[in-house]
Amino acid sequence: MYRLHAAPDFASTITHLALVQIGAPFELVNQDVDGGALQTAAYRAINPVGLIPAMETPDGPMFETAAILLYLDERHPGVLGPAPGAAGRAAYLSWFVFVTNTIHPLTMLLVHPERAAGEDAQAAASAEVSAQLAGALGHLDRALAGNPALGHSGIGFYLAVLLRWMQKFAAVRADAIDPGAFPAISALVARIEATPAALHVAQAEGLGPTPFTAS
Amino acid sequence: MGGNHGEGIPMYVLHYAPDNASLIVRLFCEEAGIAYRTELVDRSTGAQDSAGYRRLNPAGLIPALETPDGPIAETGAILLWLTDRHGLWPDPALTGPFLQWLFYLSNSAHADLRRLFYPEQYAPPGSMPAHHDMAAARMVTHFGLLDAAAMQHPALFTPQSALAPYAACLLRWSALYPRGGTGWFALERWPSLLALAQAMDARPGTARIALAEGLGDRPFFAPTYPKPPEGRAT
Repeated sequence: MYRLHAAPDFASTITHLALVQIGAPFELVNQDVDGGALQTAAYRAINPVGLIPAMETPDGPMFETAAILLYLDERHPGVLGPAPGAAGRAAYLSWFVFVTNTIHPLTMLLVHPERAAGEDAQAAASAEVSAQLAGALGHLDRALAGNPALGHSGIGFYLAVLLRWMQKFAAVRADAIDPGAFPAISALVARIEATPAALHVAQAEGLGPTPFTAS
Repeated sequence: MGGNHGEGIPMYVLHYAPDNASLIVRLFCEEAGIAYRTELVDRSTGAQDSAGYRRLNPAGLIPALETPDGPIAETGAILLWLTDRHGLWPDPALTGPFLQWLFYLSNSAHADLRRLFYPEQYAPPGSMPAHHDMAAARMVTHFGLLDAAAMQHPALFTPQSALAPYAACLLRWSALYPRGGTGWFALERWPSLLALAQAMDARPGTARIALAEGLGDRPFFAPTYPKPPEGRAT
């Protein structure tokens, strides 16, 4: 039994998708982010960084979206990506980590450009970050086009949520990412959007009828 | 040119440049006795942007590891794949914390340190000081949490764990490469990380790699700019 500490349309959406896809029993614990729940001692005991998501496991609590996905991947092999030891695992891990440590942080800076260089430089920082992000997405798009096996749901769920944010929540509208420029990514995310897991999570979190594909 | 390291016939080729992120993988392989061969990526000629290298890693980042399952890019991915392949997981009860801190190193600490190395990719020319201060403040937070983690889970931060070379290299690079100053960095503020740096310096594998990449006598506790026998760090 897992307990996922979550909030709608936070990074927990990614791990929520994975848990539904795996089909293991879990409990969703929505945290009152605006009410200061993440600053409480109780939450910090679960996640010292004070971010969403965190997950309680039979082995204790853990945090970091990507770490939770890989933990689930190790415990339920073959659902989110090629099983450990299987062919294609090397390429899958390469691009999974690229999504988590390059595309995810850049997406956060696109949504919060004031975190790059302060309030006064938001507009210029947003433009820099958007260009970096487009370059990173281009690498991934070409890799996906050449190797459809990379489109396992672990990468797919992660990308779907990030692509949603890049379209909808860019602080500077003109710097929002146009998914049409990345056809392989768009195709993967459209496929993910139609899965039962995505339909369930979109409903549960109130993300709307086309949460990942329509800006 | 390259070289053989570890036991037996190498089944891996590590594409490396001195004092680049390949150093993390190299240290990990040395400790685990994983046989590998190195292939220099010559940054003086921009080899990381060559068509040949881009076939291994389309993002043009170092390292890449060639394996029987094809090439792997991304330090964290390489460490995870080797951990799986060579049965190097920690105690199963520590799987969660191991993954959590590995990704914290990769996604938070390494990603923010990169902002200090390449600020022009993240902020306009007029706001470099503000960008520097914000990224540096985040690094101080990251090292504080990693210090607490190393105290809480010493078994996860021994030199044999993938977390140790990753953390040690971030400490080293923090002291050497940020543009806009390193005044924010003070190893003595983080006693568990300081102990980790000293423990890494004392490892025979570290000494071998320090010699191969020209990293000096105490590459983690007292870093100096590299004087590599081949290739260039930047």
